[in-house]
Amino acid sequence: MSDYPEWETVIGLEIHAELNTKSKLFSTAPNRFGDEPNTNITEVCTGQPGALPVLNKEAVRKAVQLGCAINGQVAKFSKFDRKSYFYPDSPRNFQITQYDQPIVIGGTVIAEVDGVEKSFAVNRVHLEDDAGMLKHFSNFAGVDYNRAGVPLVEIVSEPCIHSPKEAVAYAMAIRAILMYIDASDCNMEEGSLRMDANISVRKKGETGLRNKIEIKNMNSFSNMELALHAEIARQVRAYENNPSAPIHTVIAQATYRWDPDKKETVMMRRKEHADDYRYFPEPDLVPIILTDQYIEEMRQSLPELPLQRERRYVRELNLSPDSSFHLVSDKPTVEYFEKALNVCGNARSLCNWILVEFAGRFRESSANLVTSGILPEHLAHLVNMIDDGTITGKIAKQVADDMVSHPGKDSRKIVSENPDYQPVGDRASLEAFVLEVISENPQSLADYKAGKDRAFGFLVGQVMKKTKGKANPAIVNELLTEKIKNF
Amino acid sequence: MHQLSARELRQRFLKGETTAENIVKYFLERIDRLDKDIGAFLAVFHQSALAKARHLDEKKAQGAPLGKLAGVPVAFKDNIHVRGEISSCGSKFLTNYRAPFNSTVTDLIEAEDAIVIGKTNCDEFAMGSSTENSALQVTHNPWNLNVVPGGSSGGSAAAVAARLCPIAFGSDTGGSIRQPAALCGIVGFKPTYGRVSRYGLVAFGSSLDQIGPLTTNVEDAALVMEIIGRQCEKDSTSLSAPPESYLETFTNGIAGMRIGVPWDFLKGLRPEVLANFQASIDMLKEQGAEIVDVDLSIMKHAIPVYYIIATAEASTNLARFDGIRYGVRSARAKTLDEVYDYSKEEGYGPEVKRRILLGTYVLSAGYQDAYYKKAQKVRTLMIRRFKEIFHDCHLVATPVSPIEAFGIGAIKDPLEMYLADIFTIPVNLCGLPAVSVPSGFSPAGLPLGLQLIGPQKHDKNVLHAAYTFDQAAKFSSKMPPLAKQG
Repeated sequence: MSDYPEWETVIGLEIHAELNTKSKLFSTAPNRFGDEPNTNITEVCTGQPGALPVLNKEAVRKAVQLGCAINGQVAKFSKFDRKSYFYPDSPRNFQITQYDQPIVIGGTVIAEVDGVEKSFAVNRVHLEDDAGMLKHFSNFAGVDYNRAGVPLVEIVSEPCIHSPKEAVAYAMAIRAILMYIDASDCNMEEGSLRMDANISVRKKGETGLRNKIEIKNMNSFSNMELALHAEIARQVRAYENNPSAPIHTVIAQATYRWDPDKKETVMMRRKEHADDYRYFPEPDLVPIILTDQYIEEMRQSLPELPLQRERRYVRELNLSPDSSFHLVSDKPTVEYFEKALNVCGNARSLCNWILVEFAGRFRESSANLVTSGILPEHLAHLVNMIDDGTITGKIAKQVADDMVSHPGKDSRKIVSENPDYQPVGDRASLEAFVLEVISENPQSLADYKAGKDRAFGFLVGQVMKKTKGKANPAIVNELLTEKIKNF
Repeated sequence: MHQLSARELRQRFLKGETTAENIVKYFLERIDRLDKDIGAFLAVFHQSALAKARHLDEKKAQGAPLGKLAGVPVAFKDNIHVRGEISSCGSKFLTNYRAPFNSTVTDLIEAEDAIVIGKTNCDEFAMGSSTENSALQVTHNPWNLNVVPGGSSGGSAAAVAARLCPIAFGSDTGGSIRQPAALCGIVGFKPTYGRVSRYGLVAFGSSLDQIGPLTTNVEDAALVMEIIGRQCEKDSTSLSAPPESYLETFTNGIAGMRIGVPWDFLKGLRPEVLANFQASIDMLKEQGAEIVDVDLSIMKHAIPVYYIIATAEASTNLARFDGIRYGVRSARAKTLDEVYDYSKEEGYGPEVKRRILLGTYVLSAGYQDAYYKKAQKVRTLMIRRFKEIFHDCHLVATPVSPIEAFGIGAIKDPLEMYLADIFTIPVNLCGLPAVSVPSGFSPAGLPLGLQLIGPQKHDKNVLHAAYTFDQAAKFSSKMPPLAKQG
């Protein structure tokens, strides 16, 4: 929080992830996004009288695997509770959730923040069912119950996050874990990963917590970061503008949402009293009782987790911890990287092209490198061509542009078909350019001879300019050194 | 034909002495003629029942195997789903609700070739002890049309007592099968919690509800239990115990069986009810049972505990009846809040509103510890007490109801009505199996019932003892004069 050196931010995140089970948490209806409204439903999903919930074992398995993956304590006894509230998207007007005995207690998530590994404490993970969705039409509202009953895990962090950057890193690490263990698709556009933040600020050194507000449903990491920054600024400003007001009166406990157009948090409702959801044990379900053996089997079945892979990449591929964290945090991207790595051994360069060059080229697009149609082999070929001197770094960037506009076309083909991308690699033609540059820049020559090394770089630049960047820099260096001696 | 048991009726059909169509026509005619005065049925399925009967006759003609209830007309309480038919639950709110699926019990008995003949009246959402809380019609006791049939399964009890069908199904949350069975002079059985699937039963108190049979005799109840007492994958609270054979040990008698009686708890019982109960106990002794005194004083807490737990569960179970997805939405409602408020206001009767308010209150923050959580603790103590008692005896005997059937409209105070369930409620709180078997008549000529309670999963022993008692007492063969008409 370098913006406000006297202040400290305290953030707790609640992350809801839809589990990618075949059927819903308490019914046999398909768990699938994007179908016609009210097609993936049974009598359970619409809260028909006489219907009863039956727990989906696959959802339990995925929650337990998540618990193992974050080193939480998987409860051998957990149970479901009814949480009562009235809303049309809630088919029974109570949600079935886990109130005081969740399936996972505690846990740790490690994420890379500014190149340093930080450890974040998870309070709990519990299972619950998702609500339906309201659709508003011109003069009425409809309810789509396709989503009603989709299994969710709610992952609740401790209030241990102290900056928007940390919040993003923590959420990225959670998402990576969920994807690695194949528990959730974590598709934020489709709402299968949703984040709510509880946030307050306090003077550095204070121990108690000041009033917090909740920001609901920030649907991307970048929105979350912006929302948290805006909210911190709002709270700090409020305290600083009201130095004499009693502290608990300055920020009202309330629920906010992020308005991405106005770039500010907008209050939805005040929380003057704690909501009374009248939780009590769900009598239609029996408790979840797990054996040590089952939990151990789940632990053993875990794949390599993002943190393990991140550390392996640093160790074996010499990636920087920060790049490695970002690379492994997105499962499709890391799988893409692995495929490219089969064709090209330059891991650091591949990583840079993925995280910096191509990420930048897709920044304003709804696609990304993985979904673009650009094959991992073609990226690998690009890096290989740079490394073996076939093209220069500068040309490579143009080739990359062409790869984006012609996805699926091999980078080698792009280079071979375009005369402008042919390297000027033969010494004879380069020699002519070098001699020309030396004769045109006598002052630089003199400077160089007087010991100013920088002048040499300038001369190299002039040669590259004349060759439109196609010259092989190694050869240019060699020729220049050789020719300068003769002047 | 109406004097026959379900098993005898099936035998006649199988032997070719009558057809399924004749059976159904016979009972439909009785319903059309007698139910005008009784009001047991909310719906009678003339067409579908006859169609099913003809189908069975064809099946029989082809020599296909026939089920254990072949040709037997059965009725369902209106809170148990029969696909495509209205499940009103005795409520105005659900008068337009057609069940989109069968209850598991409906499936099981239809698979045994029973013929579903209609749906019976009940207290609204099974909340009541007299069927007077039905928003749809009054049901009269066939023994005396001026008195109630009991409740909440009063329509099912009255239908069987009047021999309008040999078997009807009810649900029992605090005595709703046993008490009307007693008040109508028939047999009613509440199985061990989890023995019978609750799938397709509109929930009142989920941890208490059980579906069970109302029949004219104990063997028919046992036959039904052999069919419906099985694990169901759609009900998570269903017992994993294998289905049992009930009938084969029936003739073994009860010699040496120890039956506990909470004499102390029965103090203050009306003299005529106590005298009837004493006579029943003497009869059990004559059959060789050993009667032991047991202490069930903890049961004095049963009614408050029940009215906390049952209403807490009900307040959430009934939350879904909001007028959004199904049921009768208020025509006055213009906004979302009005849909909720007016639909409930217009759709629910006073007893249902009272219980939802009570249940909401006992679950509220600040009150839950004092009410809901404390009630659960007392419930646990009751379960423990019954377990201890069942170390000393095989069964416990009590009257079913402390009072005989009372006049329609006679009890106005809800609390007085609640107290009438004092003997039946502990059974639900503890998940035990219990039967109501006819034990004679009050001086006013109204039926009374004996309750036999067993340990969890001992459903068979309970019915077995009831059978032995009934063979000796023979009260189940008594029929109300109204029903004797051919």
